[in-house]
Amino acid sequence: MTAHKNHEQTQKSGGFRPGCLGVLVMIALTIFLPRVVPVLQPHVALPADRILDDPLFTIPGLPGDQGAVYLTNTLVTWAIAVFIVLLMGFLVGRRVKQAMARDEYVLTGFTDVFVSFVEVLYNLTESTAGKWTRVIFPYFVTITTLVLVINWMELLPGIDTIGVLTPSHKPGYGYVVKDLGPVAILWEEAEGKGEKGEALVPGGRYGLAAVEEGEPTYEFRPFFRVASTDLNFTLALALVSVIMTQIVGLRALGAHYMEKFFNFRALLRGPMGLLDFAVGLLELISEFSKILSFSFRLFGNIFAGSVLLFVMGALMPPILFGFYGLELFVGLIQAFVFGMLTMVFMAQATQHH
Amino acid sequence: MEATAAKLIGAGLAMIGAIGAGLGIGVLAGGAVQGIARNPDAAGTIQTNMILGIAFAEAVAIYCLVVALLLIFAV
Repeated sequence: MTAHKNHEQTQKSGGFRPGCLGVLVMIALTIFLPRVVPVLQPHVALPADRILDDPLFTIPGLPGDQGAVYLTNTLVTWAIAVFIVLLMGFLVGRRVKQAMARDEYVLTGFTDVFVSFVEVLYNLTESTAGKWTRVIFPYFVTITTLVLVINWMELLPGIDTIGVLTPSHKPGYGYVVKDLGPVAILWEEAEGKGEKGEALVPGGRYGLAAVEEGEPTYEFRPFFRVASTDLNFTLALALVSVIMTQIVGLRALGAHYMEKFFNFRALLRGPMGLLDFAVGLLELISEFSKILSFSFRLFGNIFAGSVLLFVMGALMPPILFGFYGLELFVGLIQAFVFGMLTMVFMAQATQHH
Repeated sequence: MEATAAKLIGAGLAMIGAIGAGLGIGVLAGGAVQGIARNPDAAGTIQTNMILGIAFAEAVAIYCLVVALLLIFAV
């Protein structure tokens, strides 16, 4: 106990902190490393890259290639994020139980941070959803935590940068690599010859290089790519959110919930009721537009963020740190907004009109 | 070459829609700050609602961004 206290005091009184040193080393690396190794802008593609060329499994009954499910790099990152979230929940739950069994009510370290985070979300839900808190809260906290972990994975080194090189389909296009024994690094981006036969910008360090005849070029496929830069993930999450909103509403109000969309009773009230009926149909359309806005908001923010990091990394590596801070903030806000909107829509669905 | 140029011009034009979202977020934040100045106790609630409103306003700009990104990288 005393040792622990002493340790805390030395940390508080300033002095040497390993974390600060790490940040300083990383800032120094972002400034000096680009002088040694060229920083290339990765080829931005909207669909996720396949890690294996053969499909994992095929869903029967779908025409052509539509049933084939491939192992994509966003799927890998998604699985890692789900594993991290499960591990966090399991470990923190065990620590809290242990502390409760020993009658300790002061949590420390990561457990404390995580429990406070969950508590803030719980209080927010309680002030909005009232007696339906216990039904709505799990969706809120699960979505927020998963999206937060996935969004912040964008900032880890190795994401989007470690992958496999395959010979380029189009000779002269792709990347020229430098072999370093067991690994190879991308050295130049090649655009081959221009359409009319003349070389494009020759030899530019950050620009496109004219490749000499016969020099092998490669395509680069990263192993890891953030799951929220794949529209499939955000669409799936949006579908879960909107469908569960309907189920929570049906559970709370029963058949009356459908009156919000098909207000037949208003029709009996004459011409003004017709307007109410039309408003109900508009509500139905707005449920569908929620799917669109949920999925596009998260996808657009995080995809644009990763493109911003790519471009800034290639243009101006020294100021990349500022953009990392921005992305840290955007990732948090988007995770919070996704969960919070789900919670608010669910709370609205449980209320009578 | 003309097709690429048209794509890039289209992407630029698509981002004009961000004007609306910018105006909306400005109005929202201005209103929220005025509200907090009048009633500092309500700062928490106002902030939460402001963030929600900003998320809605921003979604419109994000649609433009998605259209622009699709034009540049997908078409």
